Amino acid sequence: MNRKILSCAYWTVAALAFAGVMGLIYFWTPFAIDPNDGKPIIFQKILYFHLPVAINTFLACTVCFAGGIGYLVNRQTWWDDLAAAGAKVSVVLCTGVLLTGMLWAKGAWNVWWTWYSPRLTFSFMLWLLYVVYLIVRSSVEGSQRRAVVGAVYGLIAFLDIPLVYLSARLLPDQFHPADITLSPSMKLTLAASFVPITMIALGLVFLQYRLHRVQRGEVVGPLTLPGLGMRPSLTGGAA
Amino acid sequence: MTATLNQIAVLAAKDLRIEGRTRSTLGLVVVLGVLIISVLGFGIGTQPQLAALGAPSILWVAYLFSGVLCFEKTMATERQDGALAGLLLAPIDRGVIYAGKLASNLILMFAVAAVITPVGVLFFGMDLSAAPLGFVAVIAISMLGFAAIGTLFAGLMSSSRLQGGLLAMVVFPLVLPLVIASTQQVLSPGGTGLAILVAFDAIFLTASWIVFELVLEP
Repeated sequence: MNRKILSCAYWTVAALAFAGVMGLIYFWTPFAIDPNDGKPIIFQKILYFHLPVAINTFLACTVCFAGGIGYLVNRQTWWDDLAAAGAKVSVVLCTGVLLTGMLWAKGAWNVWWTWYSPRLTFSFMLWLLYVVYLIVRSSVEGSQRRAVVGAVYGLIAFLDIPLVYLSARLLPDQFHPADITLSPSMKLTLAASFVPITMIALGLVFLQYRLHRVQRGEVVGPLTLPGLGMRPSLTGGAA
Repeated sequence: MTATLNQIAVLAAKDLRIEGRTRSTLGLVVVLGVLIISVLGFGIGTQPQLAALGAPSILWVAYLFSGVLCFEKTMATERQDGALAGLLLAPIDRGVIYAGKLASNLILMFAVAAVITPVGVLFFGMDLSAAPLGFVAVIAISMLGFAAIGTLFAGLMSSSRLQGGLLAMVVFPLVLPLVIASTQQVLSPGGTGLAILVAFDAIFLTASWIVFELVLEP
């Protein structure tokens, strides 16, 4: 089957699913009710975007970690390209987590930023870790050396994530978010919103991966999904 | 086992002997640390309450910058006269090279901290009377984790042609858990801070020992 059609189909499905989830969030899912004063919490609906993006950030970090390990074991360049793609997407997604987290903080506590929220602090430290990955990568000369530096940093950074999370929880937690139990329809929306966002995250990882392969002048390699590969006319000449 | 320990001791003694004869690192690093403390002291030292609460973080700023400089310099000595190539040709495990570098870095950092910490404690009026030994232990455990990460990345960076200053950029975000856990542990003892510090040390000592052989290149 034509690769371009598959690629178009994938992104169309992702876009439709995204639109569908947006519809669910706006028109179908009820507002969460604040247990303290019985009023609806409007900004709580950020959750349906915030949580899937956060989970997918970890997914992208795991891709970066796996790519790094794979490179250290096999020394094949496609592992390194995969790691780089994972890191880049994790920075993009983590930026999304931070921005939505800040909106949430503004809504819940009327501040754009607070060090007293362990989860917000954790997202910020995670963002720093992977931004540094990208900067270090871009400043190492020689593609082999760059791959080794990236792989080692990606490995150590990934091991660092649980420690960063635990240490962020040590910070005094002044703002306790209201405990809201999700009703079945809210849970359904939350589950549904994972579909488009995971599709977009994986699609971005594949796009980045393919871009790195092409930049290297290689298109062969595992994980070049048929729908996401380059057109033959562009790839035929590169060797 | 004793053979490995001997090798580590020989490597660390070599680094310390070089440092003892040239004295190129320690003086520089200690003065840098004291300078950092005084620069920050001019900012917040005039407000006693703020100073006492901020002191652990200020000490960490000094540790971080002087530590990174220290790790960079001990690794840079291996760059001269092909010393690293000789080291890599030696019939020893690469992990031993790591442990030797770590030992010498750790000893230097303890020496630096032994000067910087009292200066910080005096300047900022920290009250350590509750648990003076606990404070020292927390700093020592944190230094081990810091040196573990710093030594690994100093090796990695020195083998790659890179602009200077990048080591700080790599190490700082990675050691943030140490900084948070140790400052929180000092400010409010108890809780899981100490456990996080010990876990940090254990995880990164093991990981660095395994990874280090892939890192060095003459």
